[in-house]
Amino acid sequence: MARTTCYMCACRCGIKVHLQDGKLRYIEGNREHPINRGVLCAKGSAGIMTAISPARLSTPLRRIGPRGSGSFEAISWDEAMRIATDRLAAIRASDPSRLAFYTGRDQSQSLTGHFARMFGTINFAAHGGFCSVNMAAAGLYSVGGAFWEFGEPDWEHAKLFLLFGVAEDHDSNPIKLGLGRLKARGAKIISINPVRTGYSAIADEFLAITPGTDGLLVLALIHCLLEAGRIDTEFLIRYTNAHHLVIDAPGAPDHGLIARDAAGRELCFDRASRALVAAQSVGTDPALSGRIMLPDGRYARPAFALLAERYGDAQHSPEAVAARCGIDAPTIRRIAAEIAEIAFNQPVVLDQPWTDTAGRHHATMTGRPVALHAMRGVSAHSNGFHTCRAIHVLQMLLGAVDTPGSWRYKSPYPKPIPCASAPGRPRVPGGPLDAPPLGCPRGPEDLLVDEAGEPLRLDRAFSWEAPLAIHGLMHMVIARAYESGPEKIDTLFLFMSNMAWNSAMNPGETTRMLAECDEEGNYRIPFVIVADAFASETVAYADLVLPDTTYLERHDCISLLDRPIGSAHGPGDAIRVPVLKPDRDVRPFQDVLIDLAGRLGLGDFADDQGRPLYSSYADYMVRHERKHGVGPLAGFRGENGLASGKGTPNPRQLERYIENGGFWRYELPHEQLYFKHANRAYLAGARAMGLIDDDAPIVLQLYVETLQRFRLAAEGHAVPRPPERLRERIIRYFDPLPIWYVPLEEAMTDRARFPLHAITQRPMAMYHSWGSHNAWLRQILSENRLYVHQDLASELGVADEDWVWVRSRNGSLRCQIRTMRGVNRDTVWTWNAIGKRAGAWALKHDAPEFRRGFLLNHIISEYLPKHGDDAPHSNSDPITGQAAWFDLTVSLEPCAAPSPEDTSPRWGANPLHIRKAPEGAR
Amino acid sequence: MTMLPERAPGAKKLGLVIDLDTCVGCHACAVNCKEWNTGGEAGILPDYDKYGPQPDGVWFNRIHSYETEEGGCSRTVNVPRSCLHCEDALCVTVCPTGASYKRVEDGIVLVDTDKCIGCQLCAWACPYGARELDEKAGVMRKCTLCIDRIHDENLPPAEREPACVATCPSRARHFGDLADPESEVSKLVKARGGLDLLSDLGYRPTNKYLPPRRATVPSAPAPPPSPAGKGLGAALLKLLDKALSR
Amino acid sequence: MRPAASILLLTTATGFGFGLLAWLGAYAALGLLPPEAPVLLAAGITVSLIFASLGLAASVFHLERKERAWRAFTQWRSSWLSREGVAAVLIYPVAIAFGVCFWRDGQSLCTRLLGAATLIGSLGTVYCTAMIYASLKPIRQWHNAHTAPDYLLYALFSGAVLFAALRTVLLGAPGPMASVAAVMAAAAFAAKRAYWRHIDGQAPLATLAAAIGTPNATAKALDAPHFSENFILRQMGFAIARRHAARLRHLALGVGFALPLLLEVLAGVPIAPLTTTLLALACAALGLLIERWLFFGEATHVAALYYGRPV
Ligand SMILES: Nc1nc2c(c(=O)[nH]1)N[C@H]1C(S)=C(S)[C@@H](COP(=O)(O)OP(=O)(O)OC[C@H]3O[C@@H](n4cnc5c(=O)[nH]c(N)nc54)[C@H](O)[C@@H]3O)O[C@H]1N2
Ligand SMILES: Nc1nc2c(c(=O)[nH]1)N[C@H]1C(S)=C(S)[C@@H](COP(=O)(O)OP(=O)(O)OC[C@H]3O[C@@H](n4cnc5c(=O)[nH]c(N)nc54)[C@H](O)[C@@H]3O)O[C@H]1N2
Ligand code: SF4
Ligand code: SF4
Ligand code: SF4
Ligand code: SF4
Ligand code: SF4
Ligand SMILES: [Mo]
Repeated sequence: MARTTCYMCACRCGIKVHLQDGKLRYIEGNREHPINRGVLCAKGSAGIMTAISPARLSTPLRRIGPRGSGSFEAISWDEAMRIATDRLAAIRASDPSRLAFYTGRDQSQSLTGHFARMFGTINFAAHGGFCSVNMAAAGLYSVGGAFWEFGEPDWEHAKLFLLFGVAEDHDSNPIKLGLGRLKARGAKIISINPVRTGYSAIADEFLAITPGTDGLLVLALIHCLLEAGRIDTEFLIRYTNAHHLVIDAPGAPDHGLIARDAAGRELCFDRASRALVAAQSVGTDPALSGRIMLPDGRYARPAFALLAERYGDAQHSPEAVAARCGIDAPTIRRIAAEIAEIAFNQPVVLDQPWTDTAGRHHATMTGRPVALHAMRGVSAHSNGFHTCRAIHVLQMLLGAVDTPGSWRYKSPYPKPIPCASAPGRPRVPGGPLDAPPLGCPRGPEDLLVDEAGEPLRLDRAFSWEAPLAIHGLMHMVIARAYESGPEKIDTLFLFMSNMAWNSAMNPGETTRMLAECDEEGNYRIPFVIVADAFASETVAYADLVLPDTTYLERHDCISLLDRPIGSAHGPGDAIRVPVLKPDRDVRPFQDVLIDLAGRLGLGDFADDQGRPLYSSYADYMVRHERKHGVGPLAGFRGENGLASGKGTPNPRQLERYIENGGFWRYELPHEQLYFKHANRAYLAGARAMGLIDDDAPIVLQLYVETLQRFRLAAEGHAVPRPPERLRERIIRYFDPLPIWYVPLEEAMTDRARFPLHAITQRPMAMYHSWGSHNAWLRQILSENRLYVHQDLASELGVADEDWVWVRSRNGSLRCQIRTMRGVNRDTVWTWNAIGKRAGAWALKHDAPEFRRGFLLNHIISEYLPKHGDDAPHSNSDPITGQAAWFDLTVSLEPCAAPSPEDTSPRWGANPLHIRKAPEGAR
Repeated sequence: MTMLPERAPGAKKLGLVIDLDTCVGCHACAVNCKEWNTGGEAGILPDYDKYGPQPDGVWFNRIHSYETEEGGCSRTVNVPRSCLHCEDALCVTVCPTGASYKRVEDGIVLVDTDKCIGCQLCAWACPYGARELDEKAGVMRKCTLCIDRIHDENLPPAEREPACVATCPSRARHFGDLADPESEVSKLVKARGGLDLLSDLGYRPTNKYLPPRRATVPSAPAPPPSPAGKGLGAALLKLLDKALSR
Repeated sequence: MRPAASILLLTTATGFGFGLLAWLGAYAALGLLPPEAPVLLAAGITVSLIFASLGLAASVFHLERKERAWRAFTQWRSSWLSREGVAAVLIYPVAIAFGVCFWRDGQSLCTRLLGAATLIGSLGTVYCTAMIYASLKPIRQWHNAHTAPDYLLYALFSGAVLFAALRTVLLGAPGPMASVAAVMAAAAFAAKRAYWRHIDGQAPLATLAAAIGTPNATAKALDAPHFSENFILRQMGFAIARRHAARLRHLALGVGFALPLLLEVLAGVPIAPLTTTLLALACAALGLLIERWLFFGEATHVAALYYGRPV
């Protein structure tokens, strides 16, 4: 029996793997593990079948047929490494950014990102860009943490839980455990979701919201709370910037910025001394309303006053938004009242003294037991950044951030706002980047744009098209590489992401782009390297395939530098250890990447003489130091393994992890468990552990001044400035207070023609495309249907299993329907990523995944409709570049059952044909 | 032996209590059950056409989803379906070979696959669809209540529970002795009005299902809206007037 | 329920066999065996045992593990299937003894007693078969007061038709068996119609809501646990379209009972008795196979509720 970490999805559960005669016998949850406490989901339990899947790649491959044909020859690792090294060395010698390195749900970003940084390419991103960057960005810029996998409700104490747009989420098992606990305690769960399945099925109240309108709902809740005077003003002045004075001088270059004193400290108006004082000073009575004269004679207003004025307006009343949201006004009012009742009349008081950063001693920890959580239902819309901001603002108004009973930070969060580093750029041409390639711009000066204000990055992240694209624009990578041609990008290096298929908008076009040549017969995207463990759709489009092991055959590191297993109870990280020996000629990708970095002589991976520093990923995990004393693994550091967080490398570190069940976890002392953003002991401890650089309080941003900086630049008050064509857009969307607008694509689409919203959900028993080659999981879900509200179905005259055409402005697809009641009347939906390209995943040619599965992606475009003379914008949130998967609107047209009964579109099969390596080539 | 045993005084009635109010329909219990039981004492649970057009196999536990409507309130209900270890288990008495039997000591209904002739009559006799034929081995299979876990002395006591119970992420599954009114499961059944599925058929299942609940948090009355356009009501102004201390 | 060929064959063939045997036994028990009987009886017993054996062979064919078939004899205390097996096996020596006794002694007390035993044994076997189905509570079309008498009636009907044909083949005329068969056909016809009226008027055994533990709600199936048909659906989810069923019902009534009735009347007149009795036999066999197919095909299993199928 070995203890390691599951990787049938990104949730990072601890598992115990039992072997019998060297073969997998049983995988069970590790009861000691903090993430899953012994439980295991359907995917995790099916790991055995993934380990023997026929879709596993078994040898490095070099393309011999046309791209996309699936024709390869088996080559040796020596040759594969030589090809990759030569190619990358040449790129590096010219312009490192001609390497575009994009990765998926790999949990190795601390390594892959560092590779990109040392290689010197700005063209790197991982997963978050097509996933939920709206949540990350809105959270990091508002509260220094985020929903997603970076925060969690206080499952033990919450009395009311509001869940916005979540079907499954990354914390698959923790959320289920938490919901179970809420249920056991009789807490109330409200799900706001167009679809009532899964978590929403067990919610005590289900609000079938119209997609894309959560912002309206939340702002209406805020309206009601303001109206009733039910907000936590003390929380606001102590922990947020509600009292900070916002300069009110329209047209001035600092209009909308926070007024500061000479020392650069934010100002507030102290009602006790009737003076302007540093907002962070203690013992004051800051004004939250009014208009205050600044020393220079101009006026300023507390941020809260702006907020109250805006959301107090009747346009935000429940009555004004009800029809649009699909939730009636009395319900919205009742929910606001329930929130207020529980937050203010039923606080949770823990008998736990603590001291805040102002030095005030508190005898108890008192919290508002209203917990909020949101994910892709909010984020995957082009108005998701502001919607998520609205939710955070609601939390702040309630005083429900990291308090008992509310939403809590998971360690290593909170982090300073905005996060520590701006996106990296090369200091010297061809050299490494000065910071990791992904970071948080603090203003226009941090953007990666040229003199004309045009994007430097391939995916246009950190440009005026998507200034806060802190995770990159993954969904645009292939389209932009195709568009910009070989001058910009030489090699597209994809790891653990099926970017030509289920994470592509419009996979048909995407695969065409990958396979297209110019007149001379050269591919528009010159070279494609794919590192994958299985025969995915994307593998068929590679020139070079680097076959990875499965998760039971390698070391991995779930690092604090990436997405660790920390919880509100403290930091933690984990490892994977090889349990099985690969029976194929495959290598762990991380080993390969470190080998490649060594061969290329990259800094931090090779010494001055260009000699590789690390023999393997396991070696790197133990010995690499990112900063002094800080390495990939935070546990068991120091000579004797007693140091946590920071400490010299410990050569026996991995053994200590293994002894400990494959993970390390640090339990915070009770006084540090809440109010982490302003908890003196917590911040000091986190700093000592290397989680943050500085133990200053983290001031929650009710009002995000950073956004205003971009707006001022667009108004011509700062440099750099956006190109003319984008100015209005920046001015409109970079509002420091949450706004709501019709999602971009929806606003540009003729709703009379496409009256229905179309969205997807995660099936609990499948992980994207990973599960279809798993003999057990595919028994559960081998095809998918389009779910339609019963009333809509009767109107259209269709019933269960009937066929329809689903049309959007981007194209049409044909599929079968299933009717249900628990869905918003104007919304249709399906499970994500079930449809497969014939030939992929080693499935037989007539597999239902090919014939009756379908992807909504086929009728989603990565571009918005063209407007004006400007080139079409990407189908993304204008602030973060978040892929707007759920903005899609469609129409349904019943049709006769086709013969054969296949979904449409379908492509010809392109299974892998592998020419064996000649004898002795190995 | 195919006759149902006389219930000995003090004998256990081991079974599951499944909370329909908490089950999110994740299939974890179903897959973990398959994983545990394949290769366990039950032998390999077969799969047919693993990578082809008709993927199918033997499962002891399967998860359905339904939509229900009651008193104007509609909801989605996920229902895991496995053997209920009935007291009046017709599946046992119809068995011509004695392969199906109900254990005296704990009421578990089992199939002795060494005796089974695969006549399938027991599957016909089960109203819950809990028995599935192993078309490879030609014998009937069903949930064993993880008899090889719950009585395994080598396991730490906390782990002596069925695989599906141990793995259920939302803790919607409970295992225990339903003959003992003091057991946790009996108390749950009592507190939550645990039900027999298809009680009219008279199989007297041991497993109980806890019906979905209504919200337990009393709704607060909503204050009437203040006059249109006057969002910044008196209540807020009063609140903002209060002295604060930073 | 899926109409498996082996079971259709089993129940119809044993119906003919044990039905014939029952008539032979009844005749003997009542002392009515005609003088030319030894040949007829020998042939009758042989033919009926061939039919019974055919049926039983088919039933073994239905078993997945044929080599263990012997185990099926052990649980007669509770299992109708086991009882059927035991009874079917016990009837062989009895029937053979009955034949031998008559051959040797003619109409003796021993013959009459063995005849009675054969009658009881063969009808008992048919009853056991019927009870296998009638005892299955989850299947309302089987678990009712019709199933057992109907099975007995169809066995007697098919046995009479077989007897009439056999007698005509051997003795040139059906004798009273034509009338008996005609009466039986009429009775079977009526019984089948009564059965269909009964099952058509039955309420479903349960509602989906009761099946899923929300008895006071209305319920609709949303998602099944799997997309491919599984064992349960293959066996118990079998559904036949109403229109299709109605046609088959007419066919079963017409071919299985009405035609034999007519033909037996003709045979009794007698008009071309050899042709009519043999034709009646063929019709009865075909009709009963259709009837049996419907008996399965129209039966719904309450477990199919879970898949949202009507039961
Ligand atoms: N089993 C499983 N787990 C997974 C994954 C998987 O593939 N399988 N993928 C992982 C990944 S990469 C991610 S990003 C997470 C995502 O996890 P989730 O955030 O749960 O993502 P989705 O399944 O896309 O669910 C989005 C939900 O939002 C709802 N929704 C859509 N539009 C709106 C809206 O406008 N408003 C509201 N309120 N709701 C809306 C949908 O109905 C759906 O229930 O899951 C992770 N976990
Ligand atoms: N319509 C629609 N489209 C969506 C979404 C949606 O909600 N709706 N969601 C979006 C979101 S949030 C995401 S995150 C993306 C996900 O999209 P992708 O990142 O493309 O998702 P996967 O299918 O998980 O692809 C992962 C690849 O990793 C490979 N893989 C699995 N295990 C290993 C391993 O151990 N090693 C290596 N090297 N490779 C491995 C798999 O074979 C597969 O090719 O999809 C996006 N696409
Ligand atoms: S949620 Fe499931 S698949 Fe994901 S890590 Fe945990 S057990 Fe594995
Ligand atoms: S659920 Fe079915 S198989 Fe299990 S004991 Fe009851 S009748 Fe038998
Ligand atoms: S299939 Fe096996 S267990 Fe079931 S009744 Fe027949 S012999 Fe008994
Ligand atoms: S008790 Fe064991 S055998 Fe029965 S369903 Fe649960 S895991 Fe499967
Ligand atoms: S594991 Fe638990 S929550 Fe998931 S389907 Fe089974 S009973 Fe329901
Ligand atoms: Mo994602």
